[in-house]
Amino acid sequence: MQFKHITCPQCGLLCDDLDVSVDDQDVTLDDNAHSVCQQFFVDAKFTDKSTLQPKINGKPCTLDEAVTYAAKLHATAQQSIISGLIADVQACRSAFALAEKTHSVIDHANGQSMRASTAIMQRYGEVRTTLAEARNRADCIVLFGAEILEKFPKLRERILQPAETLSGNTERKLIILDVVENADLAADKEIDFFHLALPNLETAIQQLQYLASPRASTKTEIDPSIRAIYQQISTSNYIVLTWTASLFAKNTAEQTLQNLTFFIKESMKTQRCVGLPLGGSRGEITANQVSTWQTGFPLPVAFTSGAPEHNPVIYNAETMLANSEVDLLTWVSTYSSDDTPKQYATANIVIGHPNMQFNQTVDVFIPVGIPGIDQRGLACRTDAVATLPLHSIRKNDLPSADHVLNLIYQAL
Amino acid sequence: MAIKLVGAQIYDPVHQIDGKKMDIGIDQEQICNADALAPDCESIDVSDCIIMAGAIDLHTHIGGGKVNIARTMMIEDHQAHLHHGDHQCRSGSGHAVPSTFTAGYRYAEMGYTAGFEPAVLPVNARHAHMEMADTPMIDKGGYVLLGNDDFLLQMMRDGASQSAINDYVAWVLNASQCIGIKVVNAGGVHAFKFNQRRLDVDEVSTASGVTPRQIVNVLSRAVYELGVTHPLHVHASNLGVPGNFETTIATMGAAEGVPIHLTHIQFHSYGTEGDMKFSSAACEIAEAINKNKNVTADVGQIMFGQTVTTSGDTMMQYYGHEHASPKKWTVMDIECEMGCGVVPFRYRDKSFVNALQWSIGLEIFLQVNDPWRVFLTTDHPNGAPFTSYPHLIKLLMNRSFRNDHLSNLHPEAQRMSNLSSMDREYSLYEIAIMTRAAPSKILGLADQGHLAAGATANITVYRKQDDIEKMFAHPAYVFKNGKMIVKDGKIIETVKGVTHVVKPDYDKSIEKSLRTYFDKFQTISLDNFKISNDEMEECIGSRVVEHPCKKT
Repeated sequence: MQFKHITCPQCGLLCDDLDVSVDDQDVTLDDNAHSVCQQFFVDAKFTDKSTLQPKINGKPCTLDEAVTYAAKLHATAQQSIISGLIADVQACRSAFALAEKTHSVIDHANGQSMRASTAIMQRYGEVRTTLAEARNRADCIVLFGAEILEKFPKLRERILQPAETLSGNTERKLIILDVVENADLAADKEIDFFHLALPNLETAIQQLQYLASPRASTKTEIDPSIRAIYQQISTSNYIVLTWTASLFAKNTAEQTLQNLTFFIKESMKTQRCVGLPLGGSRGEITANQVSTWQTGFPLPVAFTSGAPEHNPVIYNAETMLANSEVDLLTWVSTYSSDDTPKQYATANIVIGHPNMQFNQTVDVFIPVGIPGIDQRGLACRTDAVATLPLHSIRKNDLPSADHVLNLIYQAL
Repeated sequence: MAIKLVGAQIYDPVHQIDGKKMDIGIDQEQICNADALAPDCESIDVSDCIIMAGAIDLHTHIGGGKVNIARTMMIEDHQAHLHHGDHQCRSGSGHAVPSTFTAGYRYAEMGYTAGFEPAVLPVNARHAHMEMADTPMIDKGGYVLLGNDDFLLQMMRDGASQSAINDYVAWVLNASQCIGIKVVNAGGVHAFKFNQRRLDVDEVSTASGVTPRQIVNVLSRAVYELGVTHPLHVHASNLGVPGNFETTIATMGAAEGVPIHLTHIQFHSYGTEGDMKFSSAACEIAEAINKNKNVTADVGQIMFGQTVTTSGDTMMQYYGHEHASPKKWTVMDIECEMGCGVVPFRYRDKSFVNALQWSIGLEIFLQVNDPWRVFLTTDHPNGAPFTSYPHLIKLLMNRSFRNDHLSNLHPEAQRMSNLSSMDREYSLYEIAIMTRAAPSKILGLADQGHLAAGATANITVYRKQDDIEKMFAHPAYVFKNGKMIVKDGKIIETVKGVTHVVKPDYDKSIEKSLRTYFDKFQTISLDNFKISNDEMEECIGSRVVEHPCKKT
């Protein structure tokens, strides 16, 4: 059976222009898509190693038994954490309900990489654009890091250099800067690739921000490429700066995003300049949006006191697990079989992709349908503006993560 | 379940009932004739109470991407206002822009049973509906934003017929599951993307080639001709700019006699008199409303204290960002449709401008003669959080209370305001009009806002007391679809509420040009853009209730 306009949650772009064939349980992406895009559909194929029935300590059981056991683990846990959250809106909603009922901490698997951007929004606010606006409006796009093109495979075709734009702007400048050589991009006539003689991208951003600041001096030593890029930006009409925070050093990411924000806000005094941060390839945006509207706070959130508390240092999932501050982990991860827990607690419940393999026995594993293949779902795109429907295109008996989380909730 | 509410004074302006003692019957989800109920049904003595229909807020920013941005930025406010959950209620946080569950509970605790989000971006409609689905206790609905979208502006530039524009407007209403159309700074948000920093009502935008007046004209006509009950909901040009009352009056004229609703009109009622070049034009605005029977308005009253402004008007939010308190602001261009701007604000009674804004709002309330055409809003959270409504009602109903407050404001603002000379005090009947009867009428919710047999049993029972503010803040009972959800101002049962929508008919061939537009320029396919009833219920989490359109 053929399906059109299927949404792919493999990266934060959530492209929904895919044609997919389904033959019983086999799902195939029809066009010659990038291997990263293929991955979501390839990964969904069931094999002998797939788990289609819940397990308690590695032994098959019924869904009822697994839910009862999971509820028992929650009832006896001193401090539990719900993490992963690589899931659709519905599963995230149910995960928050369970977290509240069990006084758990809740955080995304990739929580740490979201902190810097959240902190900048909390402290300064931002100037941003969205995918279609960038696609149609920009006359100058600057990408910080060539790796962005690999992380978001259809970015170039869909956003950076589409066949047509509303403005009919064929004079768009696409600037990619990096500190690593890239022969392909350097040879690409449609791109202005700058191989910077700088230690890292962060320095490039710092220099760019300096040039825009009121204290800028012509005497200060600035990389000539950065000066050239700044000149290009200054003479453009709608400038889009694109980055993904995961390419920045963790310990200075906040400073780097602050520099980008200051640059954009300074430029806004006289021209239109906007940011287009990219991310959300593991459902981070979805989880964070649900957290923000349901609790009033971005992730992480702790319900230990009965009211939501947001403290990105104390309630960071990675640290809590590494320091054994929790004795129960509930891991919710539905898009990719690779997204298993990187760290475990004393007791572990996994509500996950049926093709997951674990490097240790988990107390309860409940395989669930994959949103976008087995289940209908909703997912928030990288720009946090568009929510895309994930379609159910394959029929089987796997329950949804949302349903399983609800059952555990009710069993408590 | 049948319940009889015995002996209260009833305020039901739809049926001209002004404080008459009557019994109200509830049978399942509906109001029924109390005399027809079985004698042994549950009976509640409410003889020391007054009864009104459940209140309806026709303009409150409770869901959507901009609200989540505001929540993120208002971290201090959220940390200062934590709300514990219990066996009934989910936890939450925030005062100015609370989390969704909290917003629903606070509305219900004040006797509100419906609230309408006035700024749903078409591309963000799913998100807005998801947030509203997680806002329990009350019914919801949204006004979808048009008038800065490239598709409409291109149609206008190409000389599209009114009927083609009507088809597009109807298509967007259907696709986004909304109940009305709103325009924000018509053409101005689009122009801002081209670095235009101001656009007056009769100014041709260099970006789109059309004027705000033309946009307001075609959209108000479209809404009218499609038979959508709620008139075009207009956030006029030049918000917050001294002297903008002339723009506002011109915007009323743009509708050329068809119904038009001017929202948060307080922010659009400023003159340029006095040493500070900022004055009240409430009198001129009220006079224009009184004269033009096709015009309705909600006030957008400000209250003193911390809040956050969330608006689709990027142009004017950027203009106002220098007044941000705390000093942070966000502006966002969105999907060739719209934009949004979020700027925290602290209104201070010792600030001349803020004090005068407070007076201007009240002057409009008191000078518009017809309470059916002026609505009680604070443009939550832009003027103040919706939880300040009971205080606002007291300001309207009690002249001495109002004047006491006025006497504490910036002295120059007192001098510039003629509020103290206004004797008018709103009656309970008039409050019932502006918070129940008129909103249900203007939204086309025939089964709400009144207390006749057959109406949905959304009922608020207030225990009479001298302090009107306390009375409106803590109803004795609130019934939603016949269920008692609040008792003595506290939630006793949680319910979900539904989403009210309209689905006007249209010529489906409009989808041909829309499909081309989506395929060429947009980043979502047309098929995934549209939200079905089934998706609303199964995935988004709210059942749709469709209201009829009366085609002209």
